[in-house]
Amino acid sequence: MKCNENNYIQRLQRQKEDALEFIVDKYLPLIKGIAYKILSPLQNDGIIEECVNDIFLSIWNHSKKFQGDAIDFRKWICAIAKFKAIDYYRRTSNGKEFSRDIIEETVEKSAEDELVILEDKTELIRLINQLEPVDRKIFIMKFYLGLKTEDISKKLGLTESAISNRIYRGKKKLHTKAANLDFGGSLV
Amino acid sequence: MKDIYELLNDIDIDETEFEEIEVDELEKARVKKALKKSIRQKKKRMGWKKNVAAAAILCGLSVTTIGLTFPAYAGSIPVIGDIFRFLDNGRTGLYDDYKEYSTEINMTDESNGIRVTLNDAIFDGKTISLTYSIESEQDLGDQPILEDFLEIKGVSSQSGSAHISKVDDHNYVGIVTATNLDRDQEDVAKIKWGIDRITLPDQQYKEIKGSWKFALALDATERKDFISEGSSELAGVKVNIGKISFTPMSFIVYYDQIISKEVRDKWHAVDVEIEIRDDLGNSYSGEGNGGSGDGYNMNWSKTFEKLDENASKLIITPQIMLREHTPDNFGSVEITKDGPKEIPIPEKPGKGKEEFVLEDIVIDINGLSTEE
Repeated sequence: MKCNENNYIQRLQRQKEDALEFIVDKYLPLIKGIAYKILSPLQNDGIIEECVNDIFLSIWNHSKKFQGDAIDFRKWICAIAKFKAIDYYRRTSNGKEFSRDIIEETVEKSAEDELVILEDKTELIRLINQLEPVDRKIFIMKFYLGLKTEDISKKLGLTESAISNRIYRGKKKLHTKAANLDFGGSLV
Repeated sequence: MKDIYELLNDIDIDETEFEEIEVDELEKARVKKALKKSIRQKKKRMGWKKNVAAAAILCGLSVTTIGLTFPAYAGSIPVIGDIFRFLDNGRTGLYDDYKEYSTEINMTDESNGIRVTLNDAIFDGKTISLTYSIESEQDLGDQPILEDFLEIKGVSSQSGSAHISKVDDHNYVGIVTATNLDRDQEDVAKIKWGIDRITLPDQQYKEIKGSWKFALALDATERKDFISEGSSELAGVKVNIGKISFTPMSFIVYYDQIISKEVRDKWHAVDVEIEIRDDLGNSYSGEGNGGSGDGYNMNWSKTFEKLDENASKLIITPQIMLREHTPDNFGSVEITKDGPKEIPIPEKPGKGKEEFVLEDIVIDINGLSTEE
């Protein structure tokens, strides 16, 4: 059996290495494009390379969690690439003295951002899981994929103020729950 | 609870906002290598107990294998997964299907701090292609020259080609081919490949002597021969298509040229190149294997990329080139007792070169697949 357009997702989910090679051949230009767009301001090609490898490795390790067809797959890996690259950006730029000010000017740092940066992403995921489905989508788009409120509103067919409202309410919820975390409260 | 990867399934991302970046084969190869390394490390960590058991058995076995000059090692990660494709680099597509039908050899021989690994081998009945990789502690420059020989047992005349490419400072990959010119196709080829010397043009032609040797027998890939009767003739040049041999990854066209006396009297040499397309509009890229003859009447063969299985006709266009030999482009010597003696080029009226195209030869290959 050879890996081809029709079976590569299946083979990837069965952890066949040729499928991994196949998706590198097929999607490397796209994945690199995404990573490059987000990470090029750091002016560090090493980071981009590391991030691209990490993206493919994540796709490989989590391939079983994917559901859907080839078009969905493309979207799914784009989303992974974007969230990984943003994650790399945040981590790297956070560790650098000079870029800190610039980031504070351009990107609003929220409690969620801090949470993403600092640690315990599993806890944040746990919190996000407790939100309503719509809010969940909004939060992932906003904080994992860095989408603008405007774009989110277009996608979900809600007004911008509705999105802002939901984010505000969601943040409040998260704050309370995150505060519980700090006190060692269990949320399960 | 869903993790981020599951949650991302529900997100409808607009993927048209992303732009692709051009990536070359080398970069793809590098990513693949890094990935394989990480996933294998992971597997290793998970299965270390098994490895201990395997190591114990290997200890017992290795006593008996000492002394064998066959230092093949398993499980090494080739620098480049598909060397055929890597060296072709998407230019012709001729080698796209070679890797799939080739045999993984992965034999390594080390000499003078340089490890040569024979990665894949394939034999289509006519031509042997080997891919190899070289790992060297010292930088060998951009274009090291291998003084190598690839010998097919029992074959008196053969032609070949070689290509090497640098991957990084310590790694090189290459391909070497040998074509059997004097006989029809064989089913098995016994071959020897060896390198005596590596010359480094970048370092004042420094020579690294050593001995890297490989020997193996290769079964030919499956093939179907198709005898055709097509020919085309114009202005004293006739081209006959003899046989076409189809393999899973390529097809080989055998053809010959017959040159009239008038043309012989006018020109020093005549070359025929063929171009092939099919009735579906595909054109096939190919590589000549060389040929033999007296310079006028010649037998050639040329290997083309895999045939489109839906094609029912091959349209072959012979291109003729009539050439004049001048001291700049041609030299020939005769080996005598007193050493080589130069043969003067005879005077002929044809000057420069002249090119023309013969009428297409159409070969009906319908029913090829049902012929079995």
